[in-house]
Parts: sequence; structure tokens; C-alpha cells
Amino acid sequence: MNDEKAWVLQAQHGNDEAFTQLVETYQTPVYNLCYRMLGEAELAEDAAQETFLRAYQNILRYDPKRPFPTWLLSIAAHYCIDRLRKRKFSMFSIDDDESTFELPDTEAPNPENEAIKKEERDQVHIILQSLDATDRAAIIMRYWYDFSEAEIAEALNLTVSAVKSRLHRARRALANLWQDPSLHTRAERMPYGTPAF
Amino acid sequence: MEHQPFEDWLLADQPLTPEKKRELQSHLRECSQCSALAEVNLSLRAAKLATPQAGFTSRWQSRLATQRKSQRRRQLIGSIILVIGGVALLGWVTAPIMGPFMLAPAAWITSWITYLVYLLSSLQTLGELGAVLLHIIPDFIPPFAWMILGSTISGLFLLWTVSIWKITRVPQGVHNEDIA
Repeated sequence: MNDEKAWVLQAQHGNDEAFTQLVETYQTPVYNLCYRMLGEAELAEDAAQETFLRAYQNILRYDPKRPFPTWLLSIAAHYCIDRLRKRKFSMFSIDDDESTFELPDTEAPNPENEAIKKEERDQVHIILQSLDATDRAAIIMRYWYDFSEAEIAEALNLTVSAVKSRLHRARRALANLWQDPSLHTRAERMPYGTPAF
Repeated sequence: MEHQPFEDWLLADQPLTPEKKRELQSHLRECSQCSALAEVNLSLRAAKLATPQAGFTSRWQSRLATQRKSQRRRQLIGSIILVIGGVALLGWVTAPIMGPFMLAPAAWITSWITYLVYLLSSLQTLGELGAVLLHIIPDFIPPFAWMILGSTISGLFLLWTVSIWKITRVPQGVHNEDIA
């Protein structure tokens, strides 16, 4: 039995120390998912904390046959999706966040390549915020966590075909935004390439 | 070659043969749509994990402690409301009895004691009457009447036992789980 399974089992028997070990281990993946979903560090921190709280309260309902990270990220994704929907209804536009987003400082003393890389990362972060909440969750799970389509379907309570269709639609939307000149200010385009290579 | 197959290759996100890779590279130089798709794919793959600020676990522990505290407070408030509600309900139900008691407690207690004494003396009288009857009746009833009475009671008891046995008997070849 590995450490994770032992911790989960102990946590299910009411051992808080064991659950704390799980928080320590999975804080970064959970926080990253929340950050990519919500777009702001403060909101991501709150969502990640809430995710662990929900996981703690429902640990007895966790089925040990399922991978623990999938279960945990599923809680995080659902929480973030709900939060984005509530935000949408409360007349708060996510697009407004872009104005507060910290863009790379081209005058910074860092090497140019670092600035370019940061700019690209920020662009990815900005265009992600334009996607529908569920599409965004699917993209994040695919690219940051290497989840298969079946795993994404399980985590988001969707069918595999729905996940495929959402991933295709989201990638097309991201590519269209990527071509937007206001977003893509860098004169020199990056070398053509694809992860398929 | 048309645009669509290249877009499908990029969207499928599957490994390509060297020949397909060459064809795709050449198409990407001409097609801005596909090159944007490839760039997005690459940027997404290159994106790093965002990390929380140091002390995430201790912040979570204090949040858990706060949540438990508020939960305990909610439970306490709930219990107080329940107790107050229960007392109020009890007061409402017992109001017709408690009214006279509150107005004249001595008279109320006297009437209750009188009632209890009456009840106990009645029970005692009935017991004495029963004992006298049991002592007198056997002299008035002839022996054959006792025999008829005994036979009737025995017959009824036998009938009752047979009925119970018939109802509860499990037929041959039927298992308990079949019945369940």
C-alpha cells in the first residue's frame, strides 16, 4: 500500500494528520486548477481551500477504486464551475479581469527570452478566461494534468463524446483568439510546432 | 492537400508519422489558422503549474478549525432553540392543568390527593370482593359443570395450538431464503 492510499484510509478513519498530508501533497495541482479556472490568485486560494474542506467533509464517500487526484480535481472543477456561473449571474464580467492582469514588463532587466515566455504564458492565461467554464475545465485537465478523455468525462460527469466535442470547440476558440493582434503583440512569431511531434 | 485534414490532425492531438509531420510543417507555413492552433497547443503544453503561497496547509488547518467552531456554535444555537421550543410546547400543552394549579396550588394538591386515595381504596375493595367470590363460588357450582368448563378450555387451547402450527409450518422443499 503506497503512502497516498494509507493516508486516505487513515483520513477515512478520522485521522486529521493523514488528511493534512494529502493537503500538503495535492495543494499545487488543486491550486493550479482553481487559478486557471478563476483567473485570480486570491479567488484560487479560496477555491483551493474550499476544495480541501469539501474533500475532508466527504472523505467517507470517496471510492478507493478511483484515483484520489481525479476525485479531488473533480471537486475543485465543479466548485469553480459553480462559482463562475454565480459570477456570471451577478453581472460581473470575467473579461474585466484582463485590465488587472499583470502583463510582462518588456523593460525589465530579465533576459528577453524569459519575458517572451512569460508573455506567452500570460496570453494563454488570458485567452483561457474567454472559454465556457466546463470547456475551460476540460482544457485544463487535458493540458496541465494529461487526463485522458475518459478521465475528463468521469471528473466532469460528461460522456466521452461530449468531452471530445468540447475539447475541439475550445481549441478552435483558443486558436481564433490567438490570432487576435491586440493580444498577440510580439513581432516575431514563435517557431511552428505542435505537441503531436 | 486541403486544410481540413491538417486541422483534424492538430485537434486529434495524436502522434504523427514522419511523412505527416513534414506535410503538416509545410502546411503550417501557409495556413495562419492551423499555425495558431499549433501555437496554442504548444503554449498550453509549455504552461507551468501555478503554485500557492507558502503556508497553504497551515491556512487550511486554521480554516478547518474556524469551520468546526462555527459548526459547534450552530449546533449549540440549534440545541438552545430546541430546548426553548420544547419547554414552550410543554407549557402550552400543560396550560389547562397548570392554570388552576398556579391560581390555587393548595386546593389543587388536595383534590389530587383525594382522587388518589379514592382510586386506591376502590382497588382495595375490588380485590376483597374478588377474594370473597373465589371462596364462595366453588360451593355453588356442581362438579360436572367444572368438568364441562375444563374440557371446553382444553379444547380451545388445542385448537389454538394446531392453528399456530399450521400457519407457521414451512412446506417441504421450500428454503427459508425463498420465503424471504
